Amino acid sequence: MTNVTDLSNVRANVETANGLPNAHYIDPAIFDEEKQAVLFSQWTGLAVASDVPEPGDAVPLTFLGMPLLLIRDKEGDVRVFQNICRHRGMILVDKPRKIEGAIRCPYHSWCYSTKGKLVSTPHVGGPGQNTHEAINRDTLGLNEVRSHVWRDVVWINVSGDAPAFDDAMSHIIDRWSEFDLPLHHGGYDSRFTLELNTNWKLAVENYCESYHLPWVHPGLNSYSRLEDHYNIEEPGAYSGQGTMVYRQITDENGDRFTDFADVGQKWNEQAEYIAVYPNVLLGVHRDHAFAIVLEPQGPERTVEHIHLYYAQPDTPEGLRARNTQLWKTVFEEDVFVVEGMQKGRHVPGFDGGRFSPVMDSPTHCFHAWVAGKFEAHRGQRTAAE
Amino acid sequence: MSGPGLDARLIAAHDPVNKPALVRLYTEAADSANDIDASCFFLTHAYVFALDAGHPDARTLHARLKAHGRES
Repeated sequence: MTNVTDLSNVRANVETANGLPNAHYIDPAIFDEEKQAVLFSQWTGLAVASDVPEPGDAVPLTFLGMPLLLIRDKEGDVRVFQNICRHRGMILVDKPRKIEGAIRCPYHSWCYSTKGKLVSTPHVGGPGQNTHEAINRDTLGLNEVRSHVWRDVVWINVSGDAPAFDDAMSHIIDRWSEFDLPLHHGGYDSRFTLELNTNWKLAVENYCESYHLPWVHPGLNSYSRLEDHYNIEEPGAYSGQGTMVYRQITDENGDRFTDFADVGQKWNEQAEYIAVYPNVLLGVHRDHAFAIVLEPQGPERTVEHIHLYYAQPDTPEGLRARNTQLWKTVFEEDVFVVEGMQKGRHVPGFDGGRFSPVMDSPTHCFHAWVAGKFEAHRGQRTAAE
Repeated sequence: MSGPGLDARLIAAHDPVNKPALVRLYTEAADSANDIDASCFFLTHAYVFALDAGHPDARTLHARLKAHGRES
């Protein structure tokens, strides 16, 4: 039985609210409860479609302890399956590879199409007898996890009962409708990971406020001052920050990335950084975008998977490398902060902290959302008992 | 199983795995088996490795198994 935390003040007005209690960052029991309350029940970021660029590409992943298989089927659609055979629960794919024909279980060789259909059950009715009346292949396909690709991110809804993606995410889809354009992953030099000793929520909380920028990212001060930023809040959906003074990166020749076509004059110097709840951090600019998928590996362990995107498939390698390094530096500057706050959650009696009513409201917006999801989950559980 | 050194060739095709060779060799084993059950056993293996590899023989092998009532 999970120890129920007191969340009564988390959803209060930002001027009087406290942050989430320590247990939400360090307690394995709360982490388990959070899987159900926050991560399985929503559209949660798993990976990016660019991880499986060609039909037949398959990548095994572990999401909150659950073995999953990310695959692009022969028709080109990205799918997510439970990475286990319906026969004996054996792991089907143990390393990234191309599925040439069917997914063959390495144990008894039951075979599945890349769409998950069970196509062969060798010797299931005895040697050389490959059918049996008790084995209905139509009911024994791979268990598919509900998934949707948006902005190259593969979002999954493990519980299967969230509203349709376009409805659940309508606010952010509408907000960034001008950026509803083809995204081109920059390739091998435009992806990196950061392994952090922190709870995933602290990465969200730090990402969505600009308050820390002048202190943690002093390099940004030269052109992007605190007063050039604004808060972004859509309660129940997302929060973040924007800047009014985005300046394009240039290389030694003064060359720049090509802009996303027709995004409009508004975005000439504006850029936005939004945490789409629960665990995807997105950024858009006139000439590039990025996505960070937070992989919660435990209460105090998170991996950030960072991907950079451009308006065109072929971009100058040097410029791309420079941009990757720029963002890597920025995100690495945040590591001591999210790891420091994590250590701080081990101080008994810490009350979750108090927010700046002006500067921290996007972070409070996220806390309130998490608390609301926990309260709803606990309410459902109580009603069921 | 018969054919000159078929057993050894099959073992060799399993390590390292050579899927086209496994399709060919299990088909050869099926073709040279003395009874229908033994033949279908080897045909099954040929078919499974053909499915695995996306091998063009998969369709023919499936048809042979189905003709013997061993596949749906």
